[in-house]
Amino acid sequence: MKNTIKYITITLFAAALSSCEKAIDLKLKDTTPQYVVEGVLTDAAGGCKVLLSQTKNFTDNNDFNGISGATVTMADDNNNVYPLTATSTGVYQNSTLTGIPGHTYQLNVNIDGKTFTSSCLMLPAVPLDSIYLVKDELVNNKDGTTRKYVTVKYNDPAAVKNYYRFVQYVNGRKEETIMLEDDEFTNGQVVNNNLRFSNDNDNPARDIRPGNEVTIEMMSIDQAVYKYFYSLSNSANGDGNNAAPANPLTNIKGGALGYFSVHTVVKKTLIAP
Amino acid sequence: MKTNRPAWLPMLICEITRIPLRTAFCILLLLTIAQNKAHAQGPLDKPVTITINNEPLKQALDKITAASGVRFTYNETVAKSTAKISLSAQNQPLGDVLKKALAPHPFSFTVLDNEVLIKYDASKAKKQVAAPADGKYTVSGTIKSKQTGETIIGANIRVSGANTGTSSNEYGFYSLTLPAGNHELSISAMGQKTVVMPISLNANLKLDIALEDNSQLLQEVTIKAAPAGARDLASPQMGVEHLSIQETKNIPVLLGERDVIKTIQLLPGIKSAGEGSGGFFVRGGATDQNLILLDEAPVYNASHLLGFFSTFNSDAIKNMNIYKGDMPAQYGGRLSSVLDVKMNDGNNQKFGVSGGIGLIAARVNVEGPIQKGKSSFLISARRTYADAFLKLSKDSIAKNSQLYFYDLNAKANYVLGDKDRLFISGYFGKDVLKAADIAGINWGNTTATLRWNHIFNSQLFSNTSLIYSNYDYKLNIKQDVNEYNIYSQIRDFNFKEDMQWYAGDKNTISFGVNSIYHTIKPGEISATGNSGVISQSLQNRYALENAAYVSNTWKATDRFTLTYGVRLSAFTILGSGDYYDIDADGNIIGSKHYTPGQEVKTYVNLEPRVAAAFQLNDVSSIKASYARNAQNLHLISNSNSGSPTDKWVASTNIIKPELADQFSVGYYKDFNEHNYEFTVESYYKKLQNQIDYRNGANVFTNQPIETQLLYGKGRAYGAEFLLKKKTGRLSGWISYTLSKSERMIDGINNNQWYNARQDRTHDIAIVAMYKASDKWTFSANFVYYTGDAVTFPSGKYQVNGVTYYYYTNRNADRMPAYHRLDLGATKQLKKTAKFQSDLTFSLYNAYGNPNAYRIFFRDNKTDASRTEAVRTTLFTFVPSVTYNFKF
Repeated sequence: MKNTIKYITITLFAAALSSCEKAIDLKLKDTTPQYVVEGVLTDAAGGCKVLLSQTKNFTDNNDFNGISGATVTMADDNNNVYPLTATSTGVYQNSTLTGIPGHTYQLNVNIDGKTFTSSCLMLPAVPLDSIYLVKDELVNNKDGTTRKYVTVKYNDPAAVKNYYRFVQYVNGRKEETIMLEDDEFTNGQVVNNNLRFSNDNDNPARDIRPGNEVTIEMMSIDQAVYKYFYSLSNSANGDGNNAAPANPLTNIKGGALGYFSVHTVVKKTLIAP
Repeated sequence: MKTNRPAWLPMLICEITRIPLRTAFCILLLLTIAQNKAHAQGPLDKPVTITINNEPLKQALDKITAASGVRFTYNETVAKSTAKISLSAQNQPLGDVLKKALAPHPFSFTVLDNEVLIKYDASKAKKQVAAPADGKYTVSGTIKSKQTGETIIGANIRVSGANTGTSSNEYGFYSLTLPAGNHELSISAMGQKTVVMPISLNANLKLDIALEDNSQLLQEVTIKAAPAGARDLASPQMGVEHLSIQETKNIPVLLGERDVIKTIQLLPGIKSAGEGSGGFFVRGGATDQNLILLDEAPVYNASHLLGFFSTFNSDAIKNMNIYKGDMPAQYGGRLSSVLDVKMNDGNNQKFGVSGGIGLIAARVNVEGPIQKGKSSFLISARRTYADAFLKLSKDSIAKNSQLYFYDLNAKANYVLGDKDRLFISGYFGKDVLKAADIAGINWGNTTATLRWNHIFNSQLFSNTSLIYSNYDYKLNIKQDVNEYNIYSQIRDFNFKEDMQWYAGDKNTISFGVNSIYHTIKPGEISATGNSGVISQSLQNRYALENAAYVSNTWKATDRFTLTYGVRLSAFTILGSGDYYDIDADGNIIGSKHYTPGQEVKTYVNLEPRVAAAFQLNDVSSIKASYARNAQNLHLISNSNSGSPTDKWVASTNIIKPELADQFSVGYYKDFNEHNYEFTVESYYKKLQNQIDYRNGANVFTNQPIETQLLYGKGRAYGAEFLLKKKTGRLSGWISYTLSKSERMIDGINNNQWYNARQDRTHDIAIVAMYKASDKWTFSANFVYYTGDAVTFPSGKYQVNGVTYYYYTNRNADRMPAYHRLDLGATKQLKKTAKFQSDLTFSLYNAYGNPNAYRIFFRDNKTDASRTEAVRTTLFTFVPSVTYNFKF
């Protein structure tokens, strides 16, 4: 709902201020590279994965700048330590560890004398009732065809604060937009939440078209992870809407960018009519 | 003027304007008159028998005409003279009779054809001033426009030959205490003919003065006839800019809509918040630190159409003052400035309609007397039709969009007698932005003011105001089966009592009280459909803002004037509602509920205001001032350009009043016979309890706003230069500001000082207007300023395979420098007493500089392995044409 309101408001003002765009040459400062940790542990098999990379200069290419040679471990709240091993440059995995709801996990990354740590609680999964498509009445796809979005339907548990993150795949292609929701305005309700995204680079592969297979992953995340993704999407995406861009609020200690998210995942798939 | 004789006109003008450049012309004219005199044989030799006992001059002259058959010619100064004539003659020549009768009075006479010209004689007046006089008396009254009956604000009333004078207050009232005896008052105001009026003071005198509109004078003279010294060199008031609406008339603006807010941004120290934003920054302050008043009612959002236009329809505006931080004690509640806009009262002489039709908007203004000369009304309305252009757009959203505003100003005033006057005025405006019934937002201000002027006596003036103001917005979104409505409002009830006591010839004391009851509805959301959103509203916030002030302007010597005063403000936060305790990370650690009307907290602030002026000589002065201001309403915004949905919040137990201490010094000089004015002002401003959003703040939340905020301090300093040419065919100004504005907020930028977004090192504006002929006026303005301080990425990284940006220091980067040239031309089409019309052309951004509205960063659309910086530009080459009429 928050996304709907934010998205539509921005669309409205953007339409009013339609302007001309031009890529320009801007001298930007370079800085010493910073470490970026993306730590994930899910309740599904193969869901233990840590990406370690470094920031690059603005003028460099966008390739993942993976860092090898780190010692990466996760530990559960019974002090069982699970080492993660490098599967490719900057990618560390442990194939046996799966998270169990209700337990807290520790992340530990050692690289070049630096230590980054974090901990995160796995929250129980909230069932995803159904997913269905709705039509966008405001905007069409670039080619004029009807624009569609997935709506997710679930029953928000009343007793606790819930934070959700949704990831959408269209024919296996992962949608870039960060889709978040909490229950601040919907606690204990049956929620039909519209997963809007803006196809700002006009990539037809992002649109949902008849015959596409659309999969939604619904993750129950904790508050710190929600804050990370919320601030990442609001103040670090470079869209120029925020008056004070800043690095997102991380739950990693030790001076790295990134996050450690331990979450449950539920999935649903549909074929677009 | 009393006569129709055309030869008389240029001479009067010479007398009025007293501009030496015209001296040659005057001398020529005087020679002609002298010649006339030498050859005269007629009227003065006529014998006359008459007795007049202590009658006013005009009456006496009428009687002489009746007795002798000789007619007199004189101007208003003579007609209105309070001099009393006594004479007795038996068959004596008129010349002797007049000589004797006028001997004790400051008048002389000369022959003009077959008539006798009676003329004010300043040299005689001065001699008489020297005569011993008993005690002091007060001359007071109201200064008005003869044509429209509008009261004139800030008219200068000077005493010839003495360094004393005053200016009319915001209701046109003036009061001047002088030694008994004869004086010559010279009354001048922007756009009006100067009137010189002799007075004979042996009791308190009520003298209402009507000034004539300048535009009816000869072309050449009009240009010369601006009053000397528009800036008051003797007044300690610093950091103030006056602008009458006439001055904004020829300045080119975007889409041809004259706009006071756009015009003041061309003055030093006042900076545009950028295209697409209606806000402005004064001396390094934020946009919410400006108090914008329309007939005393605070206007919370002074812009239309996302900042393209201000809410002030120039048709309805009489005058505005902006105080850049050295506010007089009567104003309070904002740190950076007060923009005090006064609406016209309405023509009380005749009914009139004026208006204009432009490319995107039309205006109409109707005004006229309710009772001729006593009361009047004014209604002024505007509506844009910009959305007509959206239909032409290829973009499907834009095509089905609505985008317009309308506003309405209305005012009426009623004179209840010599001492009382009532005004009622109101403003209502609304903006609508709507996309195909799917999403819409509308926002607008409503204000209403009821005022009562009362003149207790010649030295005590009072104004009592009851004011209402309201700002709200409503956002409506329909999606699938869901509909959301979000509503937010800020509403004030305001009582104000202001008194001005002209206590003798040395002191003018202002004092008063102000009480405002604020209600803030931060937001309520109602939802229908299946989204699961529970309709709810955030708690209303209530506060009572009280203030009392007293201030004295003490004319210590002819050269030194001191204004000192204090404003005591008390901001009381009232229940009902919950107020919270919050830890350093923004988590709620406790709360307390307050019942309706229960006091949550009161912030008391003593705000001293001191200003001094030392006049070096007739044409230059230096001034210094110190002022403290407190602000208890804060606009919390994290968007780049300000949005109608930015939140107004009142101080709470956690949000402390913002405080500013400003020190300033200035040097002022008029030169070239007051044709040019040069001003330098320099200031240092210290700010406390400044507010900013936390990093990663959640803007859309039902949590207490304090959980999202951080606090700190600020400092701003700078120097402002203004060189103004006030008269001549070519007029205009050059303004330059060199400044710095910084903030230090606990929890932002590693607690180090950083540039405020509005920090602009250089800011230049050049404004030129050229009156080429009776028909054509050309104008141009050029602006250049350092780009805003912004935060650009220092690197990038991947999260989930998507590029995000890495940031280091807050606001350490700069937008590209902004510059633009606008051109304008006005062609007078018709100009008769009954009907006037003109065409105004303008070209905004005449050389099409692609100024950056926003710079954003993204993966290159064609080569996703690269990132690029993209600049968006709003306006290049915007032409417009507007047809204006008046009848």
